[in-house]
Amino acid sequence: MKVLVVEDDAETADYVVRGLTEAGHVVDRAADGREGLFLASDGGYDVLVVDRMLPKLDGLGLVRALRAAGVRTPALFLTARAGVGDRVEGLEAGADDYLGKPFAFAELLARLNALARRPPLSAEPTVLRVADLEVDLLKRMVTRGGQRIELQPREFRLLEYLMRRAGQVVTRTMLLEGVWDFHFDPRTSVVETHISRLRAKLDREGAPPLIHTMRGAGYCLRAPD
Amino acid sequence: MPRTDLAGEDRPRWWGSTAFRVTLLHLVLTLLGTAALSAVAWWATTGFALRQVAQEVERDSGLLAQAMRIGGPRSAALSIEARIAADRSGTQYYLLAGPDGTRLAGNLAEAPRAPGWERLRLSGPGVETELLALGTLLPGRGVLVVGRDIAPVRQLEGFLLSAAGWVGGAALLLGLGGGLLIGRGVTRRAAVMGAALARVEAGEIGHRLPVRPGGDEFDQLARRINTALDRVQGLMQALRQVTDDIAHDLRTPLNRLRQRLDAALRNAQGEEAWRAATEGAIADCEKLLDIFAALLRIAQVESGARRAAFARFDLSAVAETVAEVHAPAAEERGQTLETDVAPGLVTLGDRDLVTQMLSNLLDNAVKHGREGGRIALRLAARPEGGAVLMVEDDGPGIPAEARELVLRRFHRLDGARSTPGTGLGLALVAAVAELHGMVLRLGGAASGLRVTLEVPATPTTG
Repeated sequence: MKVLVVEDDAETADYVVRGLTEAGHVVDRAADGREGLFLASDGGYDVLVVDRMLPKLDGLGLVRALRAAGVRTPALFLTARAGVGDRVEGLEAGADDYLGKPFAFAELLARLNALARRPPLSAEPTVLRVADLEVDLLKRMVTRGGQRIELQPREFRLLEYLMRRAGQVVTRTMLLEGVWDFHFDPRTSVVETHISRLRAKLDREGAPPLIHTMRGAGYCLRAPD
Repeated sequence: MPRTDLAGEDRPRWWGSTAFRVTLLHLVLTLLGTAALSAVAWWATTGFALRQVAQEVERDSGLLAQAMRIGGPRSAALSIEARIAADRSGTQYYLLAGPDGTRLAGNLAEAPRAPGWERLRLSGPGVETELLALGTLLPGRGVLVVGRDIAPVRQLEGFLLSAAGWVGGAALLLGLGGGLLIGRGVTRRAAVMGAALARVEAGEIGHRLPVRPGGDEFDQLARRINTALDRVQGLMQALRQVTDDIAHDLRTPLNRLRQRLDAALRNAQGEEAWRAATEGAIADCEKLLDIFAALLRIAQVESGARRAAFARFDLSAVAETVAEVHAPAAEERGQTLETDVAPGLVTLGDRDLVTQMLSNLLDNAVKHGREGGRIALRLAARPEGGAVLMVEDDGPGIPAEARELVLRRFHRLDGARSTPGTGLGLALVAAVAELHGMVLRLGGAASGLRVTLEVPATPTTG
């Protein structure tokens, strides 16, 4: 994955670049908005990491300019401003995700992976499949090995979220945002509880587990090896 | 803070002062009033007298013309002579002239040039007067002139004019005096208010403008300014309080972090110990960052800027979700979480903030409620519109005298110091409630805390 990091704070940029490089990605960096726009314009990146506050051209302006020029590279905003309205403002400008500083590196990595592999919206599938697990989004029906599994509405949303990102690491925060619409951490074990309930329903009678816990990062739904 | 210097180019000029303008206006209005009054007096007296005279002349002239038509010039001349003889006051004047201009009868020397109304000035030995005369052309080309002396009317006019002059002069003086008095009053009140404000400006933030018990516009204004000053003082105190609180409450976790790192530096042996110390330090940092995030969020909510982002959302769904999110935490403490949420209640507001507010309330209930106890979340429509939200626990509750305090930042009850928390949860609840116009009440029965939020009715449009 080729990543462009636009960040003026050298220490944060180092932290992000080193982490991404260690994870095996190719990383370019830009220290201000104008340079970032210049580099991002040719569209050669899989994903952009953009700081909100940048010299010369701020993050909002950068993403807006890119979108106006027809560059659709997914972008993630990094920001020190943990304001409530900033997330909406960022998404409206054309960013695809938003992460407040300070952040855990695992969180950033998981979100970047999710963004880079997001399927184009036009190819919206109606049935999601992983191994012998099948989720019919229209009939809202879940089967495993042909056997019907009854899920609560929230469990269904959780499973749908995981299935859409099958094979990727999904963090607790991503689940809170995507499944519960919580944009802050309520510090309860709601995610863990639901995951374990979902597991109990999915993995019956010695079937190989599909939902894996990634220590210190989150969860991943994937076919057994 | 720079102080405004009135001695500069902003110094009020005397002709711009309220006192001057009030006086001038008062003067002009008094004069206009006197002039209008005089005009009416003139019309009612002199004008009336003149109209009377004119009517009399017209009538007399009509009678003589009739005499002329019936009895001929001779009869008319006789009538005129009789009238002149009978006139003791000497105010009646007549002239009857033949077609050739010769005088047939009367005491006027010559006829006016044209028939119709005319003012004739009569001057002779011992006589100096003015007549109102009507000349009529007679059939057969003779002329009849009837006149009346209007000297008495002129006298009345003169008298009226001088009276108006006196009255006008007096009014002028009174107006000037009145205007000066009113203007002086305004100036003095403004000066008193200005002096009081100058003291506040100089740092005596508790000083207030004097308010008289009567309460005219100035007192109302002073009262408003005092209210605004109260608010400013309250905000300043709150700011100082917050600064103190932050200094105190952030120092504790920072100290702990420092101690932990210090201990690791001196004692840690092997990678495992270093790792544990680092993880502990990260956890401490996260707690500090949480506090900052909560503080920033409260400040942002209190600034009211979020009101622009208000939208309609399903409050019932939010309540359900929040209950669901907190259910595992309640379960861990063996508590039952009862939810009774009326479906489909829609309200106008900031969905994220209301979610966090409810989440904070449930978090509190779970943390401070009795272990193995009961927690209730209720949402119901109010008959008068809007909704009422209630979160109840059966923990130790909050003593009535402390209920106001717990809504402040960092205020934690002594008993709660041992439980985890930033002391900012209820402060955010209060701020969000205020932003949404919700009425927040802390109450409770014998044991436990009951938080009630009255959600105002949503306007049907918007």
